[in-house]
Amino acid sequence: MDQLKQTTTQPRPYNGHKDIERFSLRERLVHWTVAVSFVYLMLSGLALYFPRLYWIASLLGGGTTIRVWHPYVGAVFFITFTIMFYPWKRCMLLYPEDWEWLRNIWSYITHRGKTLPEIGRFDPGQKIFFWLMASAGVLLFVSGIPLWFPEKFSWNVRLVSIFTHEVASTAAIAGIITHIYMGTIGVPGSLSAMTRGKVTQEWAKTHHARWYRRLKEKGII
Amino acid sequence: MAIKGLEIRDISATRYAALGISKVPRMTKLIDLSTCIGCKACEVACMEWNDLPMDETYRAAGGYQTIPDLAHNFWNLIKFNEVDNGNGLLWTMAKHQCMHCENPGCLRACPAPGAIVQYTNGIVDFVQENCIGCQFCVTGCPFNVPRISPKNQKVYKCTLCSDRVAAGLEPACIKACPTGCLQFGTKEQLLEYGRHRVRELRSRGFKDAAIYDPPGVMGTHVIYVVPYGNHPEVYGLPADPRIPALVSLWKGPLKTIGSTIMLGGVTAALLHYLTYGPMEVKPDTDVKKQR
Repeated sequence: MDQLKQTTTQPRPYNGHKDIERFSLRERLVHWTVAVSFVYLMLSGLALYFPRLYWIASLLGGGTTIRVWHPYVGAVFFITFTIMFYPWKRCMLLYPEDWEWLRNIWSYITHRGKTLPEIGRFDPGQKIFFWLMASAGVLLFVSGIPLWFPEKFSWNVRLVSIFTHEVASTAAIAGIITHIYMGTIGVPGSLSAMTRGKVTQEWAKTHHARWYRRLKEKGII
Repeated sequence: MAIKGLEIRDISATRYAALGISKVPRMTKLIDLSTCIGCKACEVACMEWNDLPMDETYRAAGGYQTIPDLAHNFWNLIKFNEVDNGNGLLWTMAKHQCMHCENPGCLRACPAPGAIVQYTNGIVDFVQENCIGCQFCVTGCPFNVPRISPKNQKVYKCTLCSDRVAAGLEPACIKACPTGCLQFGTKEQLLEYGRHRVRELRSRGFKDAAIYDPPGVMGTHVIYVVPYGNHPEVYGLPADPRIPALVSLWKGPLKTIGSTIMLGGVTAALLHYLTYGPMEVKPDTDVKKQR
């Protein structure tokens, strides 16, 4: 429990350097539950959506198995996403400097051109991804219920639900592709931020300068 | 589970299927609503041939209908209707079952490979071993025919006695019909017979008599001779059945857009890595000094 309560106020040395805690154990546990359930939902959903990807169903136990499990895992995703949503929603609000950053996103993508505004704990891309997943999550949950219990809903509701489920999942998958790229090879150091919870000071200053400055001002580092 | 002797013309969610190469006649059932007497011999024959048990009997005061609606174990139902057609009360009775559409909405909507097949003779059949129980076929069907079984979560409907037809027999309902209301043959034969019946009905004063072979699903392999052809709804038949536009959208353009976005996203990420490389950490002297 002590580890669960551990916050950013108690950074621990890591690899001999004074590294900064980026995500608490609680945040990481919640994130990875959301992540694993999302990957299952994406794979089983793709198997049912694209006939040429139906072979994925065999890897997950067969078509009937994924038809039975997909909605339950969906419920796990929705609940854990809600647990993740509330503590993060304030950090995810977009500020004027975030919009300024977004206007110059091409410089960020190509690593050249204008100097970008300093960013806080989450960058505007992460913030937009957060709101995209939150809205897609709500749409997928709401439209998923008539797909789970089709006999309880009218024809039109079922039709609109299948349509909504597909549009929202396409948007979510488009987002997750970017998220996985940026969270692994796109930004070295960000995967270990979510696995071991720590980043180096250089990493924090490079990618989240305002956050780094704030931690420093507060005397945390 | 292609039945021996029946070749496949279309199959759900499958590419490169072993589609049939032989040319066989398109088989069709004709239901002449002007000669149906509501005897329910077809219902009994269907249950007998397919060994379908009756779950429960349905009793409603003044009702003639066996059960309120088609069921997973009741594939052939005569629906009785009382309608006011302007000149007084009209008591209609019409046999309902799978229409065996030329362009089947159930098959289009089905995500499970091989769960729904259309044979070269036009029969649309469900293959329960491949069914995953999602009921997309129920949503795709413009006639509201498929029903899920609460026992095994698989979907069932009229097979047009594909097993009997494969053996050269007529479907059980047709065998049992005492008035000749039900006919079985090729689509051409029965359209000709139907036109003949329509002419007879028109000469007897049913000026709107027509054949019900809805073009919205490219015609069906169960066609009706309808005395009040301008109002098929009085018999419980939809006036203009079509595969819902949303089904066509999600099985067509939406899939193309979806796969383009997903493949495009992965390609863009890889290209970004190769072109601009990862966002490396900038070496920082301030941080180093602190250590």
